Amino acid sequence: MPPKVDPTKCDGCQGEKEPLCEQVCPGNLMTMHKESLKAIIREPGDCWDCMTCTKACPRQAIQTVLQYQLAYFPGKLIPMVGTNSVTWTSIDCNGKVERFVMKTLVSGDDEDED
Amino acid sequence: MADRVYIDADVLILGGGTAGCLAAWEARQVGGDDLKIVIVEKAFIRHSGSLSAGMNALNMYINQGTPEDYVSYVRYDICGAPIREDIVLSVAREVNDTVSILEAAGLPMKKKEDGRYLNRGKWNIEVNGSLLKPITASKAYEAKAEIYNRVYITELIIKDNVCVGAVGFGVRDGKFYICRGKVTLLCTGGAAGLWRPNNRRDAHHRIWYFPFNCGSSYAMCKRAGAEMTSFDMRLVPVRTKDTFSPTGTLAIGMGAPMVNALGDSFMEKDPYYLSWGGHTAPTPIRMLAFQRETLAHRSPIYMDTTRGDSAKVIGLKGQYLDMSPSIVLYWGCNDHDPSREPIELDGGDPHLVGAHAGMSGAWTRDISRETTVDRLYVSGDALGAAPSRFISGSWTCGRIAARHMVKALKDNSYQLLEINPDTLDDMENRTYGPMRRFEEKSPEGVWTDGTLSGGVSPKDMESRMQKIMDEYCGGRTHWYFVNETYLSIARKHIKRMRNDQLQYLCARDLHDLQLAWDVINRLDVCQLVIEHISFRKETRFPGYVNRTDYPETNPDYDCFINSRWDAETDEVKCFKVPYQQLVPGDRRKQSI
Repeated sequence: MPPKVDPTKCDGCQGEKEPLCEQVCPGNLMTMHKESLKAIIREPGDCWDCMTCTKACPRQAIQTVLQYQLAYFPGKLIPMVGTNSVTWTSIDCNGKVERFVMKTLVSGDDEDED
Repeated sequence: MADRVYIDADVLILGGGTAGCLAAWEARQVGGDDLKIVIVEKAFIRHSGSLSAGMNALNMYINQGTPEDYVSYVRYDICGAPIREDIVLSVAREVNDTVSILEAAGLPMKKKEDGRYLNRGKWNIEVNGSLLKPITASKAYEAKAEIYNRVYITELIIKDNVCVGAVGFGVRDGKFYICRGKVTLLCTGGAAGLWRPNNRRDAHHRIWYFPFNCGSSYAMCKRAGAEMTSFDMRLVPVRTKDTFSPTGTLAIGMGAPMVNALGDSFMEKDPYYLSWGGHTAPTPIRMLAFQRETLAHRSPIYMDTTRGDSAKVIGLKGQYLDMSPSIVLYWGCNDHDPSREPIELDGGDPHLVGAHAGMSGAWTRDISRETTVDRLYVSGDALGAAPSRFISGSWTCGRIAARHMVKALKDNSYQLLEINPDTLDDMENRTYGPMRRFEEKSPEGVWTDGTLSGGVSPKDMESRMQKIMDEYCGGRTHWYFVNETYLSIARKHIKRMRNDQLQYLCARDLHDLQLAWDVINRLDVCQLVIEHISFRKETRFPGYVNRTDYPETNPDYDCFINSRWDAETDEVKCFKVPYQQLVPGDRRKQSI
């Protein structure tokens, strides 16, 4: 399920030594395109779909898209990462929207809320 | 010559994963502030490895009973086969303590009304583990370990059967890293990608196990001359079709039974499966049942979520988002509602793991985690003969290894050892070999598509290896069946690839060099697998390895199969090692 990068949103993480997606990819797959200076996956088929890059992108420029051989167009799954949770928006092929808020971290600040 | 980076450590940890991070933490606890702890990691430790997509449960926790009961369960779950009970017991005795350490580090635990952890079946507990890896890595940061990210370790440095350290290359900077440790822990994971995967082309990495774990732990131990164990016991995953997402969430979490196309819950009908416990039969038996139903033309096989606990189906998507988000997208794109339709299963490509429902790895001395090479320790998936440790057990194994390492270091006053400069030059040449060959061969000719006329790419070599293993060493297309004739063909081809074809392996850049070493390591592991399966002339793990020439279990093989690789002759010599039962009771039954 390769990550697709929206060129209108990706700014190559200007100011960073390397784009965040490149920093975090466990498969060393994300890299900066030499001419466009935007992030690109070296080899889409090598991706394991862990979605680390998608969650890490500070501009929400990355969308994880299923290989067409596995799934129909157009479904979407979009994570929005918060401090102690991630909010997932699932939009299925019929346009039905579902939201899931998943806890990710227990920090000193939110223990009272539990 | 490449620029060199020299790193010296008291405790050198290769692989910043589940085991490595907790080993660093424990080493600091017992070793004090002055200990120099170094982690070398091929990716970035906050997001690398098998935990990178997250995990929704910890499969090892003593919810009930005793550590001995857990050993009894582990033994049963691999059909009563020999396991290192001493090792599993040592993990079971402190796994709960480890989990509390991770909870304190911020891991959200699901809890029952009485405040106890929410169990899933007998031995699992549910977590919101989407950030499991960053939380694990936080323990290494807390320990003030010196961390080197994006360094790919290629070889251990061995001198007179003592591990001196390891060398590798910087994936970004291209520098040659020379790492020395007074003691070294190798924990770079298990092996995926030896066999051809089900999905092809742009989905070929849609597999169950982490595809970037290429068996480097096993290959490096083997090349170091360490004694290896249980490569005849590979894991064959039955998982959700297409996405190969874990099924414990369905089977244990919501009690969804496996059913065939006729709607029969075959695990609860066939006397053989019932004799093993029916629905909860050992992992290889459930795989076997899946194969048999399919070969009897009663497929497709499903996990029937419509019959499970309906209240739990609602939470299903959330649980998968914490671990395998791709399946939620898959359901959305394919208009699939698991509460109304069952989930189709498939058998995937075999994997070698030491800590899940498999037990390949290095053989270790008592419970120290020290291999037969002095000062070389292993943990996590690299540790052999001790299955079902999973994540919480791998954290724990890292801790136990670290304690033994620090003790050995202090008791023996180990010092760093000198390395002969010629040895280092040779290692550097081997490390960069595929990339230097690319440069050498480029002037000889390049096709219009940019590929070399005089070389082979890592990807092409991987495809060749996967085809051989799939077709001649019991892959998915052959329904995991092997016999001696098939194995001899696999042996011939893998030998030829290792001894004749690697001279053509060319890498165009540093990323390609990583892929080249992945295939070199995988080929080394293939050799271990073929020789171990060939040596075990019986079928002890039906479903995992089905020997058509020896379909029954033979009491002569009620033992471990271990091996050593001879660098001079390139032979893997296998031998039997007796099993020692520590926890009494029927090995084919669970105690609770």
